[in-house]
Amino acid sequence: MAEFLDLESQDAVRMPWNVLPGTKQEAANCVVPIASIYTPLKPFPNMPVLPYSPLRCRNCRSVLNPFSIVDFISKIWICPFCRHRNHFPPHYHSISDENLPAELFPQYTTIEYESPTEKSTVPPVFMFVVDTCMIEEEIGFLKSALSQAVGLVPENSLVGLITFGTYVHVHELGFGQIPKVYVFKGSKEVTKDQVLEQMNFFLKKPKPSTGVVAGVRDGLSEESIARFLLPASECEFALNSVLEELQKDPWPVPADQRAMRCTGTALSVAAHLLGACVPGSGARIMAFVGGPSIEGPGAIVTKNLSEPIRSHKDLDKDSAPYYHKAVKFYEELSKQLVHQGHVLDLFACALDQVGVAELKVAVERTGGLVVLAESFGHSVFKDSLKRVFQSGDYDLGLSSNGIFEVNCSKDIKVQGVIGPCASLEKKGPLCSESVVGQGNTVAWKMCGLDKATSLCLIFEIVKKDSPDAIGQSANNQFYFQFLTYYQHTSGQMRLRATTLSRRWVAGAGSIQDLIAGFDQEAAAVVMARLVSFKMESEAEFDPIRWLDKSLIHLCTRFGDYQKDSPSSFSLSPRFSIFPQFIFHLRRSQFVQVFNNSPDETAYFRMILNRENVANSVVMIQPSLISYSFHSAPEPALLDVAAIAADRILLLDSYFAVVVFHGSTIAQWRNAGYHNQPEHGVFAQLLQAPRDDADAIIKERFPVPRIVICDQHGSQARFLLAKLNPSATYNSDAVPGGDILFTDDVSFEVFLDHLQRLAVQ
Amino acid sequence: MAAPGGPRPGNTPPNYNPNSLADNMQNLLINRPAQPPHAVASSGGPRPSPPFGQQPPPFPSSAPPSSPFPGTSPMVRPGLPHPGVLPRASVPPGGPPQAPLPPNMSFNRSSGPPITQPPPPFGLRPPHPGSLPSSTGSPARPPSGAPPGAFPPSGPSGQVVAPSGSRPGPFASSPLLTGSPMPPSTISSPINNGPHAFASRPLQAGSHFPSTGSIPRPPVRPPPSTISMAGGPPHAPSMRSLYGSQSTSAPPGPVQPALPFSAAAQGVPPPRGSPFSAPPGPVQPIPPFSAAAQGVPPPSGSSPFSAPPQSASQPSGSPYGPQTWPMQPRQVAPPPPPHPIPGSAQPPRMFGMPPPLPTESMAAISPAMSHMGAPMAGPSKIDPNQIPRPIPSSSVILHETRQGNQANPPPPATSDYIVRDTGNCSPRYLRCTINQIPCTVDLLTTSGMQLALLVQPLALPHPSEEPIEVVDFGESGPVRCSRCKGYINPFMKFIDQGRRFICNLCGFTDETPRDYHCNLGPDGRRRDADDRPELCRGTVEFVATKEYMVREPIPAVYFFLIDVSMNAIQIGATAAACSAINQVIADLPEGPRTMVGIATFDSTIHFYNPKRALQQPLMLIVPDVHDVYTPLQTDIIVPLSECRQHLELLLENIPTMFQNNKTADSAFGAAVKAAFLAMKSTGGKLLVFQSVLPSVGIGALSTRESEGRTNISSGEKEAHKLLQPADKTLKMMAVELAEYQVCVDVFITTQTYVDIASISVIPRTTGGQVYYYYPFSALTDPAKLYNDLRWNVTRPQGFEAVMRVRCSQGLQVQEYSGNFCKRIPTDVDLPAIDCDKTIMATLKHDDKLQDGSECAFQCALLYTTVYGQRRIRVSTLSLPCTTMLSGLFRSADLDTQFACFLKQAASEIPSSPLLQVREQVTNLCINILHSYRKFCATVSSSGQLILPEALKLLPLYTLALIKSSGLRTDGRIDDRSFWINYVSSLSTPLAIPLVYPRMMAIHDLNSKEMDESLITHAIPLSSEHVSDEGIYLLENGEDCLIYIGNSADPDIMRQLFGIALVDEIPTQFVLQLYDNPLSKKLNEVVNEIRRQRCSYLRLKLCKKGDPSGMLFFSYMVEDKTQSGLSYIEFLVYIHRQIQNKMS
Repeated sequence: MAEFLDLESQDAVRMPWNVLPGTKQEAANCVVPIASIYTPLKPFPNMPVLPYSPLRCRNCRSVLNPFSIVDFISKIWICPFCRHRNHFPPHYHSISDENLPAELFPQYTTIEYESPTEKSTVPPVFMFVVDTCMIEEEIGFLKSALSQAVGLVPENSLVGLITFGTYVHVHELGFGQIPKVYVFKGSKEVTKDQVLEQMNFFLKKPKPSTGVVAGVRDGLSEESIARFLLPASECEFALNSVLEELQKDPWPVPADQRAMRCTGTALSVAAHLLGACVPGSGARIMAFVGGPSIEGPGAIVTKNLSEPIRSHKDLDKDSAPYYHKAVKFYEELSKQLVHQGHVLDLFACALDQVGVAELKVAVERTGGLVVLAESFGHSVFKDSLKRVFQSGDYDLGLSSNGIFEVNCSKDIKVQGVIGPCASLEKKGPLCSESVVGQGNTVAWKMCGLDKATSLCLIFEIVKKDSPDAIGQSANNQFYFQFLTYYQHTSGQMRLRATTLSRRWVAGAGSIQDLIAGFDQEAAAVVMARLVSFKMESEAEFDPIRWLDKSLIHLCTRFGDYQKDSPSSFSLSPRFSIFPQFIFHLRRSQFVQVFNNSPDETAYFRMILNRENVANSVVMIQPSLISYSFHSAPEPALLDVAAIAADRILLLDSYFAVVVFHGSTIAQWRNAGYHNQPEHGVFAQLLQAPRDDADAIIKERFPVPRIVICDQHGSQARFLLAKLNPSATYNSDAVPGGDILFTDDVSFEVFLDHLQRLAVQ
Repeated sequence: MAAPGGPRPGNTPPNYNPNSLADNMQNLLINRPAQPPHAVASSGGPRPSPPFGQQPPPFPSSAPPSSPFPGTSPMVRPGLPHPGVLPRASVPPGGPPQAPLPPNMSFNRSSGPPITQPPPPFGLRPPHPGSLPSSTGSPARPPSGAPPGAFPPSGPSGQVVAPSGSRPGPFASSPLLTGSPMPPSTISSPINNGPHAFASRPLQAGSHFPSTGSIPRPPVRPPPSTISMAGGPPHAPSMRSLYGSQSTSAPPGPVQPALPFSAAAQGVPPPRGSPFSAPPGPVQPIPPFSAAAQGVPPPSGSSPFSAPPQSASQPSGSPYGPQTWPMQPRQVAPPPPPHPIPGSAQPPRMFGMPPPLPTESMAAISPAMSHMGAPMAGPSKIDPNQIPRPIPSSSVILHETRQGNQANPPPPATSDYIVRDTGNCSPRYLRCTINQIPCTVDLLTTSGMQLALLVQPLALPHPSEEPIEVVDFGESGPVRCSRCKGYINPFMKFIDQGRRFICNLCGFTDETPRDYHCNLGPDGRRRDADDRPELCRGTVEFVATKEYMVREPIPAVYFFLIDVSMNAIQIGATAAACSAINQVIADLPEGPRTMVGIATFDSTIHFYNPKRALQQPLMLIVPDVHDVYTPLQTDIIVPLSECRQHLELLLENIPTMFQNNKTADSAFGAAVKAAFLAMKSTGGKLLVFQSVLPSVGIGALSTRESEGRTNISSGEKEAHKLLQPADKTLKMMAVELAEYQVCVDVFITTQTYVDIASISVIPRTTGGQVYYYYPFSALTDPAKLYNDLRWNVTRPQGFEAVMRVRCSQGLQVQEYSGNFCKRIPTDVDLPAIDCDKTIMATLKHDDKLQDGSECAFQCALLYTTVYGQRRIRVSTLSLPCTTMLSGLFRSADLDTQFACFLKQAASEIPSSPLLQVREQVTNLCINILHSYRKFCATVSSSGQLILPEALKLLPLYTLALIKSSGLRTDGRIDDRSFWINYVSSLSTPLAIPLVYPRMMAIHDLNSKEMDESLITHAIPLSSEHVSDEGIYLLENGEDCLIYIGNSADPDIMRQLFGIALVDEIPTQFVLQLYDNPLSKKLNEVVNEIRRQRCSYLRLKLCKKGDPSGMLFFSYMVEDKTQSGLSYIEFLVYIHRQIQNKMS
């Protein structure tokens, strides 16, 4: 494992197979796809930032890298991808063995270029889109969170405000004399032209008859833009006074109806406005939504409360009449946003669903952030929002306008990316015919990306089985180059280039090599993203069966056993916990959609699709740490057996962090022993898991829900749901332990079956 | 003097120019006398075109004649008056008179006067009073006899004159009043006209109406009072005076009804004595009509006008009288003038009067002219001074609606009269074109006249009139006929010991409700008839029960919609509108039920949420002008008491907020629609201030006018299409607005074409009206805008109204016309109705009526008061039926008939070529006269033009109508559209002044010392009477032109306008009050006119040789113009047509 982590800390890449199967057939036999999980903006303290433009291969446009072969004498470098010989340009003339540019240093396989001349003239833009169809209390929470956020927005960044309820209100913050808003009807979709015209953008000049109209370059005056988007420092007062007077949507709502919220129209107007004012610059639409959209495009349910919001069951049966229409609308919206380079962030806080499932496409394609909580007063929302604008150690490193490109050796093709990005439909010889996720391209738009954003690239080995290929050891490397062109928070445009090389193997003896290069964690994460993707995109897909089959095939291929003898089955340590990951994945929120609403499922998957391997693994198989008087904190088995009366357990399931007090501990605590000086140790014991929880919370986005609970308490379900049900009401009770009331199979049973099936 | 007026007390004369009316008045009088001669002379000189060549002669001759016929020149008359006056006046100055009158006045006005000037309101009335008194004190009411004479002077067109003064005219100036009542000098109240109120002269006011004077603003709260009173002002046309006098005097009647005579009479010294006048002298006090008799005819003496003079009674001889018509005899004129004249003598009075002395009244015109055709030159000569012209009266007439159980014919609508409701409703509410109803349709057809009712259900009463009684029947609601649903009225006949009653409308016999039963007295009437207003009054108001409500009565909602597009801002219209609204907010009805909303618009619509919780009002922009909506359901329209400060602040800020607005487009239709959506749940008044052609959004319009111009070659035939709405969008919207009880008034403040033809559909359909300020001037118009707006919201009015007119069996309403929406044939839906709005109902026979019976008309208006009470105002008029053609002619009501013509012509204009409309109008006139000639004047020579006394001015008014701006081709399309629109809701008293404005000399105001009336008598609208040395004021109830002759005395100009040379005449004129008597008088006069007309008037200075002068002369309807005949030519033409028909 460690070596994989090392690799990650050098290049921010994790691959299930670090030794690649060399042929198409062998890759197919490997079950887990050839893939890599790449975190484009992972911070590397030691990585140099070069103040010049990269040198590119004239043939394939790949960037000069340490894997290039350099002929110092003739000043030529050979591109590892296409074998093209490139001359160094004049300013590289001093290059020599001893005088290498940084990009050729072997340790700098990941490096950034920053062109001093390219700097965005437009500061970051934040367009707040705020729902007002909420009870007064929620509005109050939201107002205070927003005004806090406004205080944190960088001074030079541009800020705009749209509020919506039955109608969409676009606030003209730049109009000094009285508060002024443009009101758009919620039930009607407006086009960008209408927005431009109706908001008087063409006052000074006639509307161009053709062509895109957008931004200062295309003829919109600065003043007309400045009506709606102002530097935070200038509009803070106006913004705050508007927020202060923000009231519940005034349109009356009968008791048996939902408020006429028009989320879709509001987002559409916001997108049009940004598209008109700041196209191509980094801008975020931050939507704060407190309930389902009823009016206009993007509606997810009717206004009658008697009609429930769609459930998974409705989706499965295709009896959610609004779903597809809404998804289609948001797909169009996402295309527009991607075109404009703008991000949609979603902060959804409500007890019921708000339509995250429908909005998912727009958020994910634009690389937006998403936070789902049950109230705007909840810390999950409040603290997450603060994190967005926080600077310092834990800032998110929000960057924008990214374009991600891939280069790789010619025997490999790209099927696609599962992650927060949008295909730019840039076809090339590298594109695979079969598409997974955002495919059909070698370039992706990442409107919004941050330090943690991780893409999962799925590759396909296209090399046919050819016996002679095997012997050519000289050429048994596959090269990958990931180029990420993005706007840094400083406004500077940067290019990060990561170049990797992996050995490939083929033939009979290659299996051990493959095993040695297997990264179980990365594999689990790739499988998780893949199964989520398939569940969403393939009709009639049975995820459990697919996962089980995959696992069995994998075990059959890589396990060590005698045919038909389950007891003889063993797995290499490289594979040993993979079945466990799959076991938990089968039980996870990604696969088990019941008990979750479509919104929650969508939310979990969006987070999974943007997180790195370590965090994703926690989502699949939560970590459990046990605290007791008997030992230092130690990891515990994620099993019901870990529960003990005299222990405190800390469960990190990524979305929730649970501090679970055993019943004895809880009694002591209730008795107040920790407040007594003589029981200082107990106080420390109580405090330790809290501190660890805080540490986790501090660096995670979205901020997880913290649950403090006691054994047998109602909140304990957050822990129990994640545990392996090794002891249930119909198994033999373990003295002192706990049991789970479930019919789910336990891990032992699962393994038994696996062994039996794998050896058949 | 009822106190009502009282309320007003406080007039504060605001402004700067206080004038003393009194002085003016007197001066005027004085001057006049003198003038006549001058005038004549001068006129003669200047005038180039006398009608027939002959004219000249008249003048010249005039000298001599003049004396005889002072009549000709108004001036002259005045002179006479004095004498007359004095006598009567005797009392003169005496406060006494005033006192009485004033009060009334005041009341009315107060209510009435919309206009800014706060003060004035009261003042207005006064004048009348004065007049009244003068009239001889006839009626008790008018206490003092003011020197009636004064008024009379007004001359020919009585109407125009003084009477009008009564109107509520906001303008406070109470010139008239004062004048009459007091000695002029005293008064000097500071009245200004300016936008700011003029201070009315305190004195006067004071004196007259106590209250009034003081109170400047008419609006004064006393709403109630206002209302009640309301009626008064408007009407009070000058006529009264005449009548008044007459009445007193006697019904002599020969001459025309025109009051003028009487007036004249008074004023005039007996000398001339009207020839005829004398005759009658019937007792009656107020026989308005009486006049009739005189033969207008040329012949000698008594000119038409001459009044009948009752001279007898009063001093007045008809001034005119003396004048005989001077036709010019010389000519060959066949007909001997003389005869005709006398002939008529008769009868003046209509039904009412018993003494039908004369058999027929007819004024004969002596046709001097050749009989035949030769229109021209020819032969005949007519003395222009002798032809029929309106004669103003200045005295107040006291009118009882029924006497001796018979309907009493009403005084002319333009006269000043006080009504006592003795069974029939006041003529202010219901007037019929003929005061006897022909029994058969054939009879009506033969007469050539129209049978129609002019209904003005909320007309302003005279201040001295008793308020309408409110009757509450409790939960059962008013007693109604179970078949026709007619309301109980004095003409329902109770039988069978009171157990049953016969409906006078449908003839059905109903059971009397048990708790309404009452025994009958020996006379067959219920014993309680005199105690129950519904059984003894022509007009009562019933309290409506739940049955009459579909929902709670609506609150008083006022929504202001202001154009802020680039042009509106740049010409200052937005600022003017905001400032006007800001001031008017204070005048809105107090109370929690008053709701206000504001929105502005250019190419988008901006609403404001003025809710107090907010720090500042919030502006909400609705950008989609193709599919509009209201941005908030609540808080757009909020109770005034909760947002007053925010509103004021907002209105102050709006002009600045938009000062750099570069949006040239205007989404009028969309804005109206959006405002409508905001008001949909309540209904109410939507006041729109529009400055440019609506160019975007719903109901966008194109510049059709220019298209029309470029396509002119395609033919004049299509020209009238520009006067039709461009499409149906706005009409459909208007119907929807009306359905939800939203009334739209549009204030068009513009310097360009805005397509009023299309825009006006909305106000017309919703019971609103169009105000037109073209070309808008930021200097001169804001004052008018404010005053118009103020009157608009403060005048008596009702909301969510439904009106129906029922008739006795045998007649039915054929069609209604006016500003309303009609969804079912029998009812008229009025989202709002106010005291100025008149609806015409044409009638048709569906059966024969019984000779000797009476035919009843009942107008029921169900409405909500501004205070949220639901009321039914029921006015019943019962008129005798006749089989006699002569009876019809005798009882014809000229003012009403003409109003009817006017409205019909206006409605024809958009759908027919202009030539055709003119022809129709002329034919209507010819047919009537022909019928009269053929059936009622058979004895006279065919060479004579014989006119029925009651209608003798019909040719003049017809001519004026043909030459009016609505029927001219040279006018701007918008001007004509506005005219058409203005006419559609025009009240009867304002109909004639619109086409035949009142003109008076103002350069000699100072010299007319003796006259107590502020308004000097009118000068005939002929350029012969306009001298180069003179300065004249001409007004038609809407515009007021001041013409400065080229050789006007610089000193006078300086005094009046602060300029010394004609060349310095500013194009934009604001009337200032300078510290000299002349200026004060002028201000008083203007204020008085405003008061009479309930309109602030657009003042414009005109001088010869530039367009303004052309405009002025275009009002000289008696002149020959390129496209029109002179008055005399027209008479000749008519005569010839009649002769052709006869043969």
